[in-house]
Amino acid sequence: MRRNLSSYPLMWRLMDMLEAIFKKIWPKGGGFWSPYLMLSPAILLVGLLVLGLGYIGDASLRTLDTSTFLFSEEWSLTNYERALIEPFIRSVIWRSILGATIVTMITLLLAFPYTYVMVRTRSAFLRKFLLITLFLPFFIGQVVRAYGWLIILGKQGIVNDILGLVGIEPLRMLFNYPSVLFGLIQYMFPFAVLMLAPALTAIPEEIEAAAESLGASWVETMLHVIFPMAKSGMIGAGLVVLTLSLTDFAMPAILGGGTQDFVANAIYDQFFRTSDQGFGSSLAVLLIVIGSFLVWVVFVLVGAGTLAMGAKDK
Amino acid sequence: MNQPVSQKLFFWTLVVISIITLSAPTLVVLGASLTSGNIIVFPPDGLSLKWYEALVEKQELQDAFIRSIWVAIICVFISLPTGTLAGIALTKYRLRKGALIQTYLLLPFTIPLIGSGIGLMLVFGEVGVLGSLWPVGVATAVINLPFMIWAVSSSATGLDPDLELAAQNCGAGPVQTFFYVTLPSVMPGIITGSLLMFILSLNEFLVSLLLVDARIVTLPVQVYNSIRSIITPDLAAVSVVFIAVAMLAIAVLDKLVGLEIFLKSK
Repeated sequence: MRRNLSSYPLMWRLMDMLEAIFKKIWPKGGGFWSPYLMLSPAILLVGLLVLGLGYIGDASLRTLDTSTFLFSEEWSLTNYERALIEPFIRSVIWRSILGATIVTMITLLLAFPYTYVMVRTRSAFLRKFLLITLFLPFFIGQVVRAYGWLIILGKQGIVNDILGLVGIEPLRMLFNYPSVLFGLIQYMFPFAVLMLAPALTAIPEEIEAAAESLGASWVETMLHVIFPMAKSGMIGAGLVVLTLSLTDFAMPAILGGGTQDFVANAIYDQFFRTSDQGFGSSLAVLLIVIGSFLVWVVFVLVGAGTLAMGAKDK
Repeated sequence: MNQPVSQKLFFWTLVVISIITLSAPTLVVLGASLTSGNIIVFPPDGLSLKWYEALVEKQELQDAFIRSIWVAIICVFISLPTGTLAGIALTKYRLRKGALIQTYLLLPFTIPLIGSGIGLMLVFGEVGVLGSLWPVGVATAVINLPFMIWAVSSSATGLDPDLELAAQNCGAGPVQTFFYVTLPSVMPGIITGSLLMFILSLNEFLVSLLLVDARIVTLPVQVYNSIRSIITPDLAAVSVVFIAVAMLAIAVLDKLVGLEIFLKSK
């Protein structure tokens, strides 16, 4: 029996020790506090963000004195009034909201068939191919993708080179609204598919067959069976695309060339060009309010969709 | 299933458009990096690896790359334990105020990146740590944390609570149960989540742009700054580094958990 005792593995000793420590700290075995304890690091980490929002809120209420270049001691709503009145800011806000809406609709329109084919195909190879085509740009990042579009669409870019070969004058395809929206759609596409996929997987194929055997055309099956059943995924995808494109910085900055600023670009400029932290912060608050409002409206109308994390309430 | 021709045509037209749109920038950047000319033209002047050779000389690009890797490592180091614990807790327990906690933990997604970035910039500025690299890592961990929680919680829904009870029945304490039963069963989620965090942090542009100064630019910021001056093919060669890392990540992800995991319904 002695031999056995000395061969007691090190790992077991370590575990015994940990168990003992654990027991010391929580004699009752965890119980009520343990899940909250497990959540606390995440809550603290996100707390940094909340703290940051506090700073933004504070800064947004202080006006810049342009003669002394100091911020006022007292709080006032001057920055917000300015943000709502100034025509430039107004046009930037509308450009962002309109752009995000268009991008969301086109992205969903393209992402749905892509996801559907990917989920339904019998060919494992095709599925893998579509997945890799999807993940590659997703993992590459916005700057490099925008750079690719610059090479393709630029004045001396590939498309113009090809047009030149057949004798067409070079077109100006960059630094305008459509090029920004186009870049955003390509950027958002993988997000939309990844949100949609679980919802479409959950729909059994037999249901489509049943609809068709009852005489529904494929368009009717899509509209009346698949869309309603995939609603949660569509909402999740739509919300993610809407909020991300509304608040995007890189695509308007790179593909818009400074002429197609979205709200994020205007905020950046206030901080780093005009050095008016107060006004920049008030714009940031406005953007957060607009974004949260849109999300809240969708949540209230149709629920969180696939955005819900963890256990389902259903 | 036999699909009608009209349906096939409709779907495939959109799918092909999507495939082209998704892949075009990547392919073009790859092609441009191999040109032998000094500017990027189509058809290419000829093939050469000279722009890759040019990278060896570019100390600032290499430094930026190493900084980006550090940022990504710090991000995973922070978010892996944090997100794993939170993901398990959210799935395993029916929490009081569960909905509230979920909404709170989704804040990094609902707050626009520019808002989070500037907020964190003000916080780090107040503490006086701006100018070092680790705050960038922390910031990317914060803004992407929901991805980690999500990945873990979606694989934790498959966790059978009876297994944990069985382990405890066999004499395992809470620590052993956690390391030998709970953790292995959420491993696919942890792997997926960590890889996502690494890649997203490596590529993070806006928050990097806000938090770095000229001495500690990360690679995406470096590329962005160069794009705005002149576009030369050496930039394409650098971008291929990102593409290579992305391909590697996809290969690892596919090997370890399978890409199809993203198609599973909860």
